[in-house]
This record gives sequence, structure tokens and C-alpha cells, in this order.
Amino acid sequence: MAHSIKEWRDKSVCVVTSDGRIILGELVGHDQVQNLILNDAKERVFTEGSAPEMVELGLYVIRGDNVCMIADYDQNAWTEDAVPPLPPIQQHENI
Amino acid sequence: MEEPLDLIRLSIDERVYVKCRGKRELRGKLHAYDQHLNMILGDVEETVTSTEVDEETDEEIVKKQTRKVGMLFVRGDIVVLVSPPLRTG
Amino acid sequence: MIFLSFFKTLVGKEIAVELKNDVVLTGTLHSVDQYLNVKLMNVQIINPEKYPQLTALQNCFVRGSVVRYIQIPPEHVDTELLQDAARKENAPASAASSSAN
Repeated sequence: MAHSIKEWRDKSVCVVTSDGRIILGELVGHDQVQNLILNDAKERVFTEGSAPEMVELGLYVIRGDNVCMIADYDQNAWTEDAVPPLPPIQQHENI
Repeated sequence: MEEPLDLIRLSIDERVYVKCRGKRELRGKLHAYDQHLNMILGDVEETVTSTEVDEETDEEIVKKQTRKVGMLFVRGDIVVLVSPPLRTG
Repeated sequence: MIFLSFFKTLVGKEIAVELKNDVVLTGTLHSVDQYLNVKLMNVQIINPEKYPQLTALQNCFVRGSVVRYIQIPPEHVDTELLQDAARKENAPASAASSSAN
């Protein structure tokens, strides 16, 4: 079961980080705790009031703790609307 | 009965009140839980409280939103307190 | 391990995972592991007008630590079985040795 991201090895994936960023790249490495190596990583930057941009990042290692989701995606289904970034995950919301 | 979780064990199949992070309150029938306080509740009513400040009067407006869910798994790390039946008011 | 076993019984069923940033994803449960990481197939975002950033996602691995709730179809849950399992799992220490998995 821990191998459920194995099938995405060497494929293009979308990583949503817990601060709400969306990073695309080729998954060239991963481990049990979702530490990830992304080749040719790009961030899809959302800004309220202007169209999304792609920013080249290069080779990236993402620490598992900061991973929210890993997914494959439909290249043609990204929104081009000028929408704000995703809200971050708050691990310690106020009581 | 010695440990806190023993009290929760006695609440299985009873309606309980669960307070969660993010000003969320749940009322529902406790079907299962584990040592992390992960839980499964049935016939759940969730109330989320939010406050907005009225820009003109500077007064705080408290809003409560309620929804119903048939069966809900609750992750233990958001749980603040669990109250057994009889005190669910 | 009660919830790992429980979610394994729901593989193939439609569930809704609510994240701690209020995003809700529905999809078919494909797998679950000991950390309650879940993998969903054919994910749909509930209120895509609020979270259009995620509409391109298809099959999705969700880290257990970012989950707030998981909504489960009640018709697929045997509540009696679940309660018995919970009583067993949380049996007092004196009784636990006899019911250990």
C-alpha cells in the first residue's frame, strides 16, 4: 500500500504542498514518507487578479512532511482564470 | 475505569459531543475510535462557528453554520475534547 | 489498526475526503496504508468554482496528516461490526492480551 505512488515513477505528477503551492514535475524518486524528487519541476503560481504563471524550478527535493497531495493530471484541464492560490493546510487551527 | 480513553469506550453506540480545532463541533453516535482519537461518528451534525467584524459598527457578528453527514471519519489530531452522553447539551 | 482494516473494506467505494484547508475531494478509494494515507481514483473537487486550481487532478494520493474528515457512504458500513471491533481494539490492558491481533 505504501507503494501506491510507485506507479507514478518517471511520470509527470502534480504535488500540492501543505502551504498550498502546486508543483509539477517528473517523479524520479520517492520514499516511504513521501519525500519526493522531481525533475524539471515547475510551479504553477496562482495570483488573485492575474492569470496563472509557470515558474521553472529545476531539480527539486520536497520533504514529505510538506506534501499534501500527489496526483496525475489532465494537462489540458488547468484553469487559466485569475484565481488566488489554494489556502494552506493549518495543522494547528485555533480551538 | 482508570484511563481517559476508558470513558470513551463506554460511549460507544451513544451520542457524543466532540469539539474540534477550527471552531468545529460535532454531535453524533460514536461507532469507533482508536488511541489517536480517530473516530467514526454516525448521524453527525457539524456546527462551524465563524466571526466577522461589521466594518461600520465594529461589532463582531457570530455565524454558525450547521450541516448533517450520515457517516463521518474524524482524524484524531483535530479533536480537542470528547464529551460522553448526558452532557451533550 | 482498526481504521486501516475499516478503510480496506471500503476500497472501490466512493468517499469524500475533506482536507484541513477546506478542500473536499470525492473519488473511488483505491488504497489506504497504516498512516491512513489514501489514494483516490477519478477525483472530483466539490465546489470547483471555489478551488479551480485543482480541476486538472485525476488520480490522487492524499497524505493522512492533511485530512480533517472522510465522509463515508453509511450503507457500506456495518456499524455493529465496527463497534465490536472498537470495543476489542480498546479493551482495558488486563483483557487486551487475549484479544491482540
